[in-house]
Amino acid sequence: MKSKPTLDDLIGVEHSKLGYYRELQQKVAEVEISNLELARRQRQIQAILDGITDVMMVLSLNLKIVSVNHVFQDVFRVPEPEGKFCHEVFRSAPQPCSSCPVITSRESNRVCRHLAIYPVDGQNRHFEITASPLRNPDGKPCLILLLMRDVTLEKELQAKYYQSQRMATIGVLAAGVAHEINNPLTAISGFAEGLKRRLPRIEKTIDQELMDDFSEYLGIILKECQRCQEIVQSLLTFGRQTCPESSPVNLNNLVNDTLKLLQNQLKQYRKDLIQVELDESLPPVQGNESQLKQVVLDLLFNALDATQEKGAIILRTSSGNGDWVSFSIEDTGYGIPSEHMDRLFEPFFTTKPVGKGVGIGLSTCYNIVDQHGGEIQVESEEGKGSTFIVKLPRENRNGSLQSNPNPGS
Amino acid sequence: MELRKFSIPEIIFGRGSLRYVGRCARRIGAEKVFLVSDPGLEQAGWVDRLTETLEEEKLRWVYFNDVVSNPRDLQIEKGAAVYRRERADVVIALGGGSPMDAAKGIAVVASNGGQIRDYEGANRIQRPLPPMVFIPSTAGSGSDITQFAIITDVRRKVKMSIISRTLVPNISIIDPLVLQTKTRKLIIAAAIDAMSHAIESYVSNIASPFTELLSLQAIGLIVKHLHTAVETRSLDSLEQLSSASTVAGMAFSNAGLGADHALAHSLGGMFDTLHGLVHPVLLPAVMRFNLPECIEKMADIGRVLLGRRLGSSEATALGGIEKFEEFCESLEVGVHLKEIVRDKSELPNLCKMAVNDACLLTNPRKATCEDLLQICEGAW
Repeated sequence: MKSKPTLDDLIGVEHSKLGYYRELQQKVAEVEISNLELARRQRQIQAILDGITDVMMVLSLNLKIVSVNHVFQDVFRVPEPEGKFCHEVFRSAPQPCSSCPVITSRESNRVCRHLAIYPVDGQNRHFEITASPLRNPDGKPCLILLLMRDVTLEKELQAKYYQSQRMATIGVLAAGVAHEINNPLTAISGFAEGLKRRLPRIEKTIDQELMDDFSEYLGIILKECQRCQEIVQSLLTFGRQTCPESSPVNLNNLVNDTLKLLQNQLKQYRKDLIQVELDESLPPVQGNESQLKQVVLDLLFNALDATQEKGAIILRTSSGNGDWVSFSIEDTGYGIPSEHMDRLFEPFFTTKPVGKGVGIGLSTCYNIVDQHGGEIQVESEEGKGSTFIVKLPRENRNGSLQSNPNPGS
Repeated sequence: MELRKFSIPEIIFGRGSLRYVGRCARRIGAEKVFLVSDPGLEQAGWVDRLTETLEEEKLRWVYFNDVVSNPRDLQIEKGAAVYRRERADVVIALGGGSPMDAAKGIAVVASNGGQIRDYEGANRIQRPLPPMVFIPSTAGSGSDITQFAIITDVRRKVKMSIISRTLVPNISIIDPLVLQTKTRKLIIAAAIDAMSHAIESYVSNIASPFTELLSLQAIGLIVKHLHTAVETRSLDSLEQLSSASTVAGMAFSNAGLGADHALAHSLGGMFDTLHGLVHPVLLPAVMRFNLPECIEKMADIGRVLLGRRLGSSEATALGGIEKFEEFCESLEVGVHLKEIVRDKSELPNLCKMAVNDACLLTNPRKATCEDLLQICEGAW
């Protein structure tokens, strides 16, 4: 039995009819606290969302844009995309694209990844697209979250990486082949020399006509051997991953020296064919002068070969923004067919007639520039001309090559 | 004087006041009403009349009528489950003491949880109750006014008193028209109950100037109008009984009762007796027992009952008690305890239970179990 009521209990001075006011106050206080907490979480989530550097958008199931993040505006600059169809916004197309990750995700109720290229500011850019269904409590998709990451840079780096891998492989291969050929070639040339030396001793015993044939044939053998040896030599140079001596080089002087060197050969061309635009304030680069001279020579020869009588070649140096010093050769020649662009720097790739070139020049240039920590870019339009731009790292204070501290590896 | 407290509900009194039920419920926030009544009032058409007023206010309701005289704990808990399941809000009770006490119990369990026996005693209710609108159909138990609810614990055979200011309904709507359909027996039982409330609260040891006038007022009204009400069913006299019951309720809710009610609760618990018919048997004996402690007050009661004073206070008091006995006999109700308790050997148990009843606290004369037994013997 509970404690028995007392008279004071019956009078109940301290007890009143309980109302909900107190409970209401408590509830209001609780709601206020939970509201603050919700607002804080909301801000936190918003901060997280704002921190995402990918384009993010929410699409309805019929591909209409529900909302976008600020990155969307930074990248695509489409005013008020909400309510428009995504294919209208990205492709200006009235119908959904044929392989649409959103539709795949909607139908499969799964995350779907996809690579696509969209034009942005006139340039095609690669996007990695992830479409994830946002599910309602029944687990059915009700909205689609679309994340778009610009992977153009990654794609370019990947392409460069593959290119340099291929070049390295070919280089090693070429050097090996050259080395193997060099020995028999030395034997052939040595023994041909021997035959040539011994030829006077049989001069008296054979008739003059035969003697002339022998003499001519041996001459051809020796001449061709010489040519082979030159090719082999350049192949060996190409393949040799050496660490050349480097010193500060002024690209302006380099260009002028090279032109002086070619003074004789250039006489056959129009005088105003080659124009020079040099940046007087060009800082020096760290490099091997003779190697860099070879790059200028090779590129200049290519430009001369490509340019007609009436064309023009412009040699430029400039210290662009940042850490680069660049040298470029612009010509108004044939231009390079787009299908050749990818193979331009491969050894033995040439469009010149047999005997005019073996396709070593540009690949050598590529190697040299690569070893200097720089890069070669090509812009070309078929029929209008090409521009080769060599970018080299600006000399830094301790005098070593910047981007490629260990070029021999 | 020590501290006293007085609290009552909002009261709407008058013929036809029933039609305000819907509006009242709406005003205190109802959307889905929990309505408690009984089959008798359904048959008399009062439940329909009430629900029409709810319909007028576009209120939904859930109806609960599983209530018997001396409402039981299991019924309360069942009702509370219905209340919660139906997501009801305001509790409305239309009926005599049983449906109203049941509604109070349901309100307590629905909002505070547990079982109704958890709240037995005083001031054990910790959380607010649903708003309550009560319409008494008798005059009356006073449950529409008071801070009490009396529920039977079936297993222990005890009438539990649940006392809390929170049990005071929000609104009491007293419509004398409802009394017209009651039987003679019920009108008498209810009126004598009201009379006993008035008498016991007047001599209570926590009676105050706020309650004493009300008690005497109720005694006077009942003794004057009950006969006419029973014989003629005139609306005027029924209205006077309603008024008497209401003021008696106001008095005893704040002043408490006494030994008569302590015993009556025990009788109800043990024998399921109709509460109103216990007082003609016990109250005169209790009054005589209390007389030495409160002669002047008993004399006041006697003066009201008799309409005049006799020679001395004691004579007036005793005259009043006799007048009360005559009054009950004239109404043809039983006045002997043996008519209720068949076996005299039950009396000690009865008194053991009654001595623990909260009503005994306010009895003007301290009563032991032995005293109670003597009272019962006297009433045999």
